[in-house]
Amino acid sequence: MNLEKVVFGFFIVLALTLNFGFVIGDIDNPAHHHPYELYAAIIVNLIATVLKFGDRTQIGAVHLSTSLVADLQLIMAAILYAAVGDTPAELIMINHVVSLAGGALLANIVSVILLIAETLSLRR
Amino acid sequence: MNNIVFLILRRIRAPLIAVIISFGIAVLGLTLMPGIEVEGEIFYLSLFQAFYIISYTATTIGFGEVPHEFSTTQRLWMTFSIYLTVISWFYAIGNIIALFQDVSLNIAITTSRFTKTVKRLRDPFYIICGYGETGSLLVNSLDRMHIRVVVIEILQDRINDLELEDYQYDIPALCADAQLSDVLIKAGIRHSMCAGIAALTNNDHANLAVAIAAKIISPSLMVLGRAENADTAANMESFKTDHIINPYTLFGDHLAMQVHALGIYLLHEWLTGIPGQSLLSPDCPPIGKWVVCGYGRFGKSVVNSLQREDFTITIIEANPELTGCEECIIGNGTESKTLEEADIKNALGIVAGTDNDVNNLSIVITAREMNPELFVVIRKNKRYNDILFDHYKANITMQPSNIIAHECLAHMISPLLAGFLSLVRIQTNVWANQLISRLVDTIGEQVPETWTIIIDDFQAPAVITLLSQGVTVTLDNLARDPSNRDTKLELIPLMLIRDGIPLLLPACDFHIKNHDQILFCGRMNARKTFSIVLGNYNVLSYIISGEVIADGLVWRWLNKKFRRKAGTLP
Repeated sequence: MNLEKVVFGFFIVLALTLNFGFVIGDIDNPAHHHPYELYAAIIVNLIATVLKFGDRTQIGAVHLSTSLVADLQLIMAAILYAAVGDTPAELIMINHVVSLAGGALLANIVSVILLIAETLSLRR
Repeated sequence: MNNIVFLILRRIRAPLIAVIISFGIAVLGLTLMPGIEVEGEIFYLSLFQAFYIISYTATTIGFGEVPHEFSTTQRLWMTFSIYLTVISWFYAIGNIIALFQDVSLNIAITTSRFTKTVKRLRDPFYIICGYGETGSLLVNSLDRMHIRVVVIEILQDRINDLELEDYQYDIPALCADAQLSDVLIKAGIRHSMCAGIAALTNNDHANLAVAIAAKIISPSLMVLGRAENADTAANMESFKTDHIINPYTLFGDHLAMQVHALGIYLLHEWLTGIPGQSLLSPDCPPIGKWVVCGYGRFGKSVVNSLQREDFTITIIEANPELTGCEECIIGNGTESKTLEEADIKNALGIVAGTDNDVNNLSIVITAREMNPELFVVIRKNKRYNDILFDHYKANITMQPSNIIAHECLAHMISPLLAGFLSLVRIQTNVWANQLISRLVDTIGEQVPETWTIIIDDFQAPAVITLLSQGVTVTLDNLARDPSNRDTKLELIPLMLIRDGIPLLLPACDFHIKNHDQILFCGRMNARKTFSIVLGNYNVLSYIISGEVIADGLVWRWLNKKFRRKAGTLP
């Protein structure tokens, strides 16, 4: 067992689950999407991105790019949320926030698939 | 470049994670702390507001408590956050700054920059290994002659010197050991424009290693190797190093040349000199009885050359067993007793050739006191003694760095020049003197530029066009001023090669053919004008026929009409 791999896998999977948790629910209902969940997703995603720095392999490069995509979308969602939060526009804009986070979810899914593919190819 | 990015990313991983985690905790905590009561409700900071506050706190900017005053719990949490985030922030900043001062990172950056610059070179260039006395002299000359160079040097100090020097071209330089073959590859040994490599370090073994590596990696490359020991020279010879440069043997040869053919020697020095320098006329050593102090590598070479010219030589050597000297007077030569023993009073010349500058000076000063008429040849070992040697006006001062640089230049300026010089050596002294006076008449007493042209589509399109029209072009045509065909350009054709056969000093009315290679020497202005003559069809045909050709179609048509009327054209 390799501690580095444990930490790496943990953050990648956690990023996906938190992201999923935020996205799930009615897309236009602010009550179903808690800002703290988005916040946690961003933090975990950022850590996952930094963990992927400096890997020279091909799969490492793709890992990094999926993470960067997820970061980008989540941060966009957060900026939007910060702008509309606690205003009457929240009811309308919430589905944009959630759809952005949904895009990040896809990137995170790809990231996890890569993780699984990498693990399977090692066969140890 | 890729490597550097990865190196940076890998190093900043830990500090970045520390910053993210500490920010994460601080922001989260701040949103959970109950604030003061506003309009009857307890106010909580939103995530965005908390992030904003933590951001300016962590970076020590500190805007204060917004949007409302903080409650005690919030202040408690802020106190905790300040210590947490400020410390982790400084840790990250410090790490990143340290990274940019990191030696290994800096080396990686300079190396990658060097490799890129070399890759981008689009002109023929030479690689010079070793930027010491010889290397700097050579680089300076090549730079003045518009030849590009790449430098590899093991000492950073000398690289700094190079960067401070005022060169007209940007000279890529790398601080690395030239013995490593990957360094040579980075310096462009496999580059298609690489014209040759010169191994000029003061370490024979390193030069040998460079020469071998160059011959293995790209066998067709011209390799110049400096070798001060006979073993190294023989070793270099064994794998066909193109030119092996031994300063001591060369000096011996030059001295012999000075004795029996001063003109040839002068020509040699002049054509391989640094452009712009003026020509000094050297003294001719008198033939007769000579004293040589020091029978090392230098002494041996001098003695060999002088004996070939029928000199009678007495050797003074302090350590005859070590140097393998059979017949000699034992001593340093610095005391008058030893010199007297060598019969200095009746000698015509003295050679001070030990490897110690102070001793050499002491020898010649003592000897000249005893015999003021002596012809003095002195060996200079270290450049920092320049001033001493300049003040003491010896007849001939031997500087290894100068000799090596001249020899390298002879091969680098143009392969034709080296061929020309070797042909010159078998000519008579009278021939050389005539050539020198002709050169002085046309070019002046300054060191001329030397260059080669090949008559082909690329270098001389105008000549090719005229030749294909059946017009005969002579050498004289090329050497005329485009603005006035009666004026001659200040240049002289030295040699012409046709079908591999060299022709020394081709006559003015010599007819040029396709693929001829011609070696010229002349003033810098002449060289510039000359390229116009070769490249511009109108200019060349004006020089040949004396008629200005109209540039435009309309004018050409009018010209034709006019001439037909006058009956000059059928």
